[in-house]
Amino acid sequence: MSTQATNTISTAALPAWVKAITLPLILTLIWQAWAMTLPENSPAPAPLKVVESFIALTASGELIWATIQSLGRVLGGFGIAMVGGLGLGVLMGSSRVVRENLDPIVESFRPIAPMAILPIAILWFGTGTPAALTIVAYAAFFPLLINTIYGVSGVDRQLVRAAATMGISRLRTVFVVIVPAAIPSVLLGSRLAMGVAWTAIIAAELAVGAKSGGGTSGGIGQMMFVFYAYSIDLNGIVVCMIVVGVVALMIDRLFRLAERFLLPWRN
Amino acid sequence: MPALMRRQDPSAAVSRSNSPSGNRASLDASPAIAARSGMRAAALHIWRAQWFVVIRAFAVFIALWGLAAYLVASPLQLPSPGKVFSAMVGLAEKGELLSHTLISASRLAVALGVATVIAVPLGFAMALSRELNAYIDPIVELLRPISGIAWIPLGLFIFGVGGTLPVFIMAYVAFFPLLLNTVDGVRGIDRKLLAAAETMGVGPRARMLHVVLPASMPSVMVGFRIAFASAWAAIIAAELIGSPSGLGFAIEWYRQLLMSPKVFSFIVLIGAVGYLCDLVLRALQRKLTPWSEGMGIGA
Repeated sequence: MSTQATNTISTAALPAWVKAITLPLILTLIWQAWAMTLPENSPAPAPLKVVESFIALTASGELIWATIQSLGRVLGGFGIAMVGGLGLGVLMGSSRVVRENLDPIVESFRPIAPMAILPIAILWFGTGTPAALTIVAYAAFFPLLINTIYGVSGVDRQLVRAAATMGISRLRTVFVVIVPAAIPSVLLGSRLAMGVAWTAIIAAELAVGAKSGGGTSGGIGQMMFVFYAYSIDLNGIVVCMIVVGVVALMIDRLFRLAERFLLPWRN
Repeated sequence: MPALMRRQDPSAAVSRSNSPSGNRASLDASPAIAARSGMRAAALHIWRAQWFVVIRAFAVFIALWGLAAYLVASPLQLPSPGKVFSAMVGLAEKGELLSHTLISASRLAVALGVATVIAVPLGFAMALSRELNAYIDPIVELLRPISGIAWIPLGLFIFGVGGTLPVFIMAYVAFFPLLLNTVDGVRGIDRKLLAAAETMGVGPRARMLHVVLPASMPSVMVGFRIAFASAWAAIIAAELIGSPSGLGFAIEWYRQLLMSPKVFSFIVLIGAVGYLCDLVLRALQRKLTPWSEGMGIGA
């Protein structure tokens, strides 16, 4: 306790950004120092080599192309999930009969991990893009569905009744009352769905690559697998990991921005 | 994530509370009609009972599956429910279902244990010390977007194919929700409770033990449930790619042998085990933190 107290006093005055970069910097330096003790031909990744590898992969266009390929699949799968999840979500959210009858089925599929579907997807579609799309769509479907149900069923009954009192038709009520009220949940569901979809595409591409001997699928996950299994380029793998993280962060920030932009009445 | 919402809407509650009283009114009218409507009421009661709804839904689902299998007419792509069931019985008799489940479950337990031991104390420390938080939070936020899956190739290189890789991936995946929920839980403590304890002369250690710990437990439990769910999803990927045993390995192994009924059996098992574990965790949540009633996952 006392050592911590002295420590607190000595560094409290430092600006926040200095504190923020301290630990990452120290760890990177240790990593670099450790890598420099290894023999020259060691495959172990090192920060400087990772930077070199990043520059080379970007210059050749490989990295960007793989990222675009993966993102394209994520968007495709997300689109499929959006159609299914929103459609079914509105149905289940607005009708108690539909919800009660479908809920057991939905709840029993939910704990089945997206990757568990992969063997079936490969059996059905082979090792190309359709299999990857299936995994992404499956992964993104549940957050979208559940949040849509929640949003639609959670609409304040008073508002619906008020609309009816004012003589607004049912159909118009759906668009004027229910949809705007459900948008926050749907957006939250979309953000969560995009997050899991991005994770799922990496997993799918990795596994498809691993199980088909590489070559056929492409994308950033596939690229990682090729680096692991064929060219044994660990620096390249670390570059891919960083790209995976950066893209995930960008997706998350984009959706948060959209939430703030589209829902100005919150906060 | 506002999952698992089973809120009945008000109109549903009204119609439900109305029906028994309506039946009671008809009971008074005439015995013959009463008996008939009583039976009808009983039938209606069963028809609406939750367990019956579940059975009904599954019956329809399995019937549709059977029909689809009949139409697809390719046992390789879509085996019929009967075939999957008999494959499951066969696998259960050979003990394969149990052995793969036990392997995966023990890896899960080790990973969750490791993640808890690291994340929860760290979370307490980060929530209580702003200085420590300023140093550690940035690196957590740097690593968090990198999904556990993306660690698989590097992990394969470091640990090789085997049991360590899934444990590492799962511990990594479980770490973040546990840490963040612990930090949230400790930070979210009502200041008044702490002030009250201090006023009553409760010392710092007792305050920690009797105020901070119980008050943050609900949030930690929620973190644990999310950690479990993410780890359960990750283990399938990790075992599928980099392990010679476990449930994730089994589905891919039988896929390569083109034994679809067995693939489907293991997929059903993965869902069932995940569902049961969540049930257990929810029961545990109610038992350990009864003061957090109504707290959903991600609340």
